Amino acid sequence: MKQIVELTINGDPQSLAVEGHRSLLDTLREEAGLTGTKKGCDVGDCGACTVIVDGQPVNACLMLAVEAQGRNVETVEGMQQSIDILHPLQDAFMRHGASQCGFCTPGILMMARKLIEENPDPSDDEIRFGLSGNICRCTGYTKIFDAVRSAAAEIRAVRAQEETV
Amino acid sequence: MNKPANNLRNAFSTIGKSVKREDVIEKVTGEGVYVADLKPVGMLYGKIKRSEVAHARIKRIDVSKALAYPGVKAVLTHEDVPRVLHYGSPHPRSVSCTKDQYILDDKVRYWGEGVAAVAAISEEIADEALDLIEVEYEELPAVFTPEEAMKPGAPQIHEVGPGGNLVLDPVRVERGDVDKGFAEADFVLEGEFSGGRPMPGYMEPNVCLADWDGSGKLTFWTSTQSSFMVRGILAEVLGLPRTKVRVLVDHMGGGFGAKQDCFQHEFLCALLARETRKPVRMEFTRCETFLAGRSRHPFKLWLKQGFRKDGTITARDMRIVFDSGAYGSHSPGVTTVGTNSATSLYRCENVRLDGRAVYTNTPIAGAFRGYGVVQTYYALDIQMDEAAERLGMDPADLKLKNAVREGDIAPSGHAIVGHGLEACIEHGTRVFDWKGLRQGARCPDPAASHVRKGWGLGCEMHGSSAYPGIKEQGNALIKVNEDGSVTLMTGAAGLGTGAHTALAQIAAEELNMPFESVSVVHGDTDAVPWDIGAFASHTTYLVGSATRMAAAEARAGILRRAAEKLQTTADALDMVDGRIFLRASPDSGLTVAEAMGPTPGIPSANILGRGTYEPTKSYSFAAHFVEVTVDTETGLVTVDRVVPVHDVGKVIHPIAAAGQIEGGIQQGIGHTLTEDYIIDTETGRSLNAGLVDYKMPLSMDMPDIDTVILEAAPDPGGPWGAKGVGEDPIIAIGPAIANAIHDAIGVRFHHYPITPEDILNALNEKERQS
Ligand code: FES
Ligand code: FES
Repeated sequence: MKQIVELTINGDPQSLAVEGHRSLLDTLREEAGLTGTKKGCDVGDCGACTVIVDGQPVNACLMLAVEAQGRNVETVEGMQQSIDILHPLQDAFMRHGASQCGFCTPGILMMARKLIEENPDPSDDEIRFGLSGNICRCTGYTKIFDAVRSAAAEIRAVRAQEETV
Repeated sequence: MNKPANNLRNAFSTIGKSVKREDVIEKVTGEGVYVADLKPVGMLYGKIKRSEVAHARIKRIDVSKALAYPGVKAVLTHEDVPRVLHYGSPHPRSVSCTKDQYILDDKVRYWGEGVAAVAAISEEIADEALDLIEVEYEELPAVFTPEEAMKPGAPQIHEVGPGGNLVLDPVRVERGDVDKGFAEADFVLEGEFSGGRPMPGYMEPNVCLADWDGSGKLTFWTSTQSSFMVRGILAEVLGLPRTKVRVLVDHMGGGFGAKQDCFQHEFLCALLARETRKPVRMEFTRCETFLAGRSRHPFKLWLKQGFRKDGTITARDMRIVFDSGAYGSHSPGVTTVGTNSATSLYRCENVRLDGRAVYTNTPIAGAFRGYGVVQTYYALDIQMDEAAERLGMDPADLKLKNAVREGDIAPSGHAIVGHGLEACIEHGTRVFDWKGLRQGARCPDPAASHVRKGWGLGCEMHGSSAYPGIKEQGNALIKVNEDGSVTLMTGAAGLGTGAHTALAQIAAEELNMPFESVSVVHGDTDAVPWDIGAFASHTTYLVGSATRMAAAEARAGILRRAAEKLQTTADALDMVDGRIFLRASPDSGLTVAEAMGPTPGIPSANILGRGTYEPTKSYSFAAHFVEVTVDTETGLVTVDRVVPVHDVGKVIHPIAAAGQIEGGIQQGIGHTLTEDYIIDTETGRSLNAGLVDYKMPLSMDMPDIDTVILEAAPDPGGPWGAKGVGEDPIIAIGPAIANAIHDAIGVRFHHYPITPEDILNALNEKERQS
């Protein structure tokens, strides 16, 4: 039996007909056509499917679509500020080589965004801890740490400038 | 077309710079298309029923209930599919592979092997239908280790092959006079070594999508490193000409060598699509990436070396047995490369080697970064450390003394051209402060005497091609378009390494045009030139050289066309940064766009450049310096710091090269300390096929890595001297860690993974003995 789930995805109100057992991950990928969020395990072990629901990072493979009823879901597709302005994290990931195969990247970007929002000046240990639920098998994480540090600094600088204006 | 000479230029415009990778924008925006992101109209979902016994004949398989289940569109068993004996990995132009598998057989050879396949309108229905398939097995005696499999009278897993459960005839190498060498030795070291079953652990589970058109042509999207190899095997087994199989891959989520087989699910997906006349997508679960993916070969190795008092190695005798699992896959290549690698790294004139690969009723071992060399050099490098200890020498000094040199005969049988190992060891010794650290206290905090520190060194060398095992061919095609932009067409796969960017850099450099003017077309076997596949650390070296040749030809064509327009001769012209000018008066000239575009009487046109390159062999080198902490109460080993020093000849994209090194270190730390895919030796069942029980190093486990890239020994065979880097790091890190653990606690380990339990047991044993 399909149910109608009403939710907001990247600012767009949507109503989707989904089976009760469908995960939010499958719903995003198969029903909403948002395939940026990846499936690395489907059982909550890898973090590739990390999205933000009502401000909190969740593994979309562990959440049912019906649980997202009335909630606000953010995915990697909503990260860009505009068509040609990337989020500082996206830009930093490109510059620092933080994305190799890219399969972990959307999940790590979402998690890192949340991390920086909560803690604009994270220490190395805080970055490591913040990303400890996200597996990247390509990079050895070194370049990811570089990118997160650099994006955080950039965001802080922009903020400081805004405050002085 | 000859290869352009590596004339030394002081300044490079594009190579050596970390330009923005052309493919990464799609990765950070989520727009990059991976195969699982595709969903053509009417698509069905494929699933595989897997064996629950390790070795059996299928007596009966009843699919009637599954077929009758609403939503199920097709079910295939061994009775329904073509019965063609084929290879797992027939590298084209190579005879080194073993034909030992059918798409589906009436026999199963390991727990988890596919026995039937279903296509249904949803993944859930396909899954439910699997449970409705009834299989009756007649169980056969099984063997789960090479020791059991090699015993006389052991059950035979295959009818093909040399017998005795061997995948191929033993690989034997003999150089010099080993017996004489041992007679001349002042002392002899002998040891046994072994290693578990590490998995590549790529983040994207294997996935493919098949669709047939009305003309009987198969379009096949798949996550592969070797699309032309997939095309070749699919065509052969399905009885189609190559023109009727089109293989596509855009982005892929890692491979690390293991995605260069043509897998069972790939055939089944194609056949389900043909049967149902619908597109069918088949995606592995994470568990299936273990059951049906490819591991590194578990191994047992015996190594004996003779040494003189001055540290010279007088003789080396080695035997290695690789566990191939249920099928041959890459065992011939792995056995050949792994065995031969022991001829080198540390010089020795008298060498006797014997390498074997053995079938067992366990999941399939295949190609994986480090390809047999991980195993051999783990043993070799650890034994060098033991020799240094015995000699009272610093291991770095002993390794430096014996490091392979220019002109030595390489594992491939060629004289080594550039050798960078000495430079790596010397440089690393300095920047790591090796000597200073090793003089320091092993127990830095007297209040916590159970916490000990140690420092270790591991070295390696690795070929930037598969030659002479495979005579590779790299191809590139360059189109200079009528607006002056450039299209590079390559068959090289983009498995995440940044290879396409490196190739675009090479093209831009040789053309002497801006990097931004070059676009890369890849991933479509109907459109791009043939490619052997992205493996053997050879893409930059092999396809890079072909790209440079193509660019040189295109550049010559551009200059000829410009000469026509400027009414001069091509040799009177030069082109720098995309601007063509008269050498004699550099101020007058034109852009490539002007040269290519129309002028009265000369319509616009394209210029083609072609490059085909068949390399021999070059070697890259590395020395890894490692600091570990061992907690002697818990047995926990932490890798605190790594200084990997790599000689790559000429670096094309420094950040991408460093990324390869750091990622390889991550996998290598896992293999050495925590990762082991465990197969129950009573039943053959997989015990930890998931990311929680199979423990890979994550963000909290990674050490600080201070990567050093040297351009110590450029190789004339690569573009501007560039060599490979993909596999090297995973080879050096293992012995570096094992040696560092010894330095910390005085215990030698001859196996991996070295678990906390192993550490505690060994420490207890040491205490008992003292
Ligand atoms: S796919 Fe959700 S955690 Fe792995
Ligand atoms: S970039 Fe490949 S898994 Fe992270």
